Amino acid sequence: METLNPRVRLVWAVGAVVTATVLGAVAAAVDRFVFEVGVPVVVAVAGLALVAGVVHAVLKYRVWQFEVRDDDLSLERGVLTRVNTVVPFVRVQHVDTQRGPVERTLGLASVVVYTAGSRGADVTVPGLTPERADELQERLRRLAIESERESDAV
Amino acid sequence: MKLHPLSIPYRGLSRGASVGFMLYFASQSLSGTDFLWTPLDQPILVALAGVVVVTLWQVAYFRRFEYDLTDESLDVASGVLSRRHREIPLDRIQNVDISRNVVQRALGVAAVDVETAGGGATEASLQYVDYDEAKRLQREIQRRKRGADATAGGDAEAADPEAELFALDVDDLLLLSVLSFDLRYLSLLAFGPAAFPVVPGFAEVAFVGGVVLVALLLAGLWALSAAVTFARYYGFRLTRVGDELRYERGLLQRYDGSIPLEKVQTITLRENALMRRVGYATLAVETAGYAPGQTPTGGSEAAVPLATRESVLELANELEEFDPPEFERPPERARTRYAIRYALVLAVLSGLLFGARALFGVPGSQALALAPLAFVVLAPVAGHLKWRNRGYATGENHVFTRNGFWTRTTKVVPYYRIQTVIESRTLFQRRRRWRLASVVIDTASSAGGPALAADLDREDATELRERLGEQLQESLAERRSGPGSDSDSESSGPVGPARRD
Repeated sequence: METLNPRVRLVWAVGAVVTATVLGAVAAAVDRFVFEVGVPVVVAVAGLALVAGVVHAVLKYRVWQFEVRDDDLSLERGVLTRVNTVVPFVRVQHVDTQRGPVERTLGLASVVVYTAGSRGADVTVPGLTPERADELQERLRRLAIESERESDAV
Repeated sequence: MKLHPLSIPYRGLSRGASVGFMLYFASQSLSGTDFLWTPLDQPILVALAGVVVVTLWQVAYFRRFEYDLTDESLDVASGVLSRRHREIPLDRIQNVDISRNVVQRALGVAAVDVETAGGGATEASLQYVDYDEAKRLQREIQRRKRGADATAGGDAEAADPEAELFALDVDDLLLLSVLSFDLRYLSLLAFGPAAFPVVPGFAEVAFVGGVVLVALLLAGLWALSAAVTFARYYGFRLTRVGDELRYERGLLQRYDGSIPLEKVQTITLRENALMRRVGYATLAVETAGYAPGQTPTGGSEAAVPLATRESVLELANELEEFDPPEFERPPERARTRYAIRYALVLAVLSGLLFGARALFGVPGSQALALAPLAFVVLAPVAGHLKWRNRGYATGENHVFTRNGFWTRTTKVVPYYRIQTVIESRTLFQRRRRWRLASVVIDTASSAGGPALAADLDREDATELRERLGEQLQESLAERRSGPGSDSDSESSGPVGPARRD
């Protein structure tokens, strides 16, 4: 099983900061315009959200694992609900690499694998170095084509 | 080729009518005010002008609409102002549906809807063509699709015999109408009070009247639901023509559809609690185009609406060959968990009532807030029923899942249709006490929800997840190495997995 690049925690932490800021702003707006709850409550809301987000990011990193096996891509993830997904290469429709602004700054990339399934039709592997992401994309693409010949299009 | 010329007046009137009414009321309500330019102060004329404009538009639509069935694809060029040329490869077509309402039947025209996988909407909709032309298209698409696949294809010329698989007789139709009360009709109850606004002396006999009213409404809704079901499934017939299923149904609006067997993703068997009592069941055939009742066109149905359990199973076996599954239920601790969960829900409900009472004074006495707790005795029963009806099974070529007490849903998924396998464990399932996990078996079927094997033992779930992956590879290898032995499965995807002999 392969783990993600540790820097992915920072990507998620940035997400947590954004969420905490938004929540804090909402709380501040409530405090100002609806009913007074007091500044400490506003700070507490934002602070709690931040702590929860950061803890979540750390735990998420610890759980996240994936593996390119013989016939499929297997992933394990999820802090509260633990999810193991098996994506057979035959079923891969196409593979993307994605780099958001935060990921770009931190030198990371994600790979998104699409299937024709009705649920969980796309699976994202975050927190990869760009080289690893390209390599993974290329490998999945090749494996998908190899197994394609016999597969039954929908 | 062009649409039927009658589609101009038909579309003009049916679409023009709504526009006309809208303009009429808009003009009516504005008439006499300063907002309206004086020549527009003639509601009838304004409405008529609207109808004329719509009809002219339909003439343009008709003139600019062209379709053509070639050996490889169905090409549709359409659009008055912005043009669209669409080419649908024949072997990607999932379903071809023909529908005709009463007026269309009188005019001898029909709408043809062509479904493919992918995309939310119907891929091509021909509104409207001659009914015979519609049937010809349906037949030709099947024939040419096979012609494109088969190397020889000589026998494709000969018309395939139509074998009847199932026909719904009047007795069963009546039974179906009575049994299938759609809970969604209950939402109409909200309009109940509005439906009976002036019942004299209603206030005096409020309580009794209320009860009677609700009973009447329920009976009325039941009758309505039954009538709708009756009209919907009237004259239901399912036939098999070569490698396709055909169905027709409907009293007022006739539907007439085809499902290529090679496109079947999942077979779903549904029995509600009433049906189970009398030994009946329904069968749905899901493709990636859509599943029954969930189509954009609203109501094509590739399913057996009601038949005895045996004949439904027989029919399912005709489509996908499988041995009767022996379901493995979740471990017994799951049952305990369900009971606890139901009890907790009741406790929370009671707590909420208490809270509401403390905050707002309403509703009612303390006893009322405690009422939900009285149902706690039922929690173990409910838990047991839920547990009893759950389960999964794996067969030679299929995986089966079963869920639900009120409507028990059994899904049959061929291994070679599996897309992804997702095993999940919630925080609660992970607790040492439960050690449970659920497995979702995802297919490309576009509706009905994926097959779910709920609350398996942790190890069993992992094993199932891995086994399904292996079975998929195995079934693919098997299909690769040879449907050759079977003469009627020259297409890329035979009905069942290769071993049919």
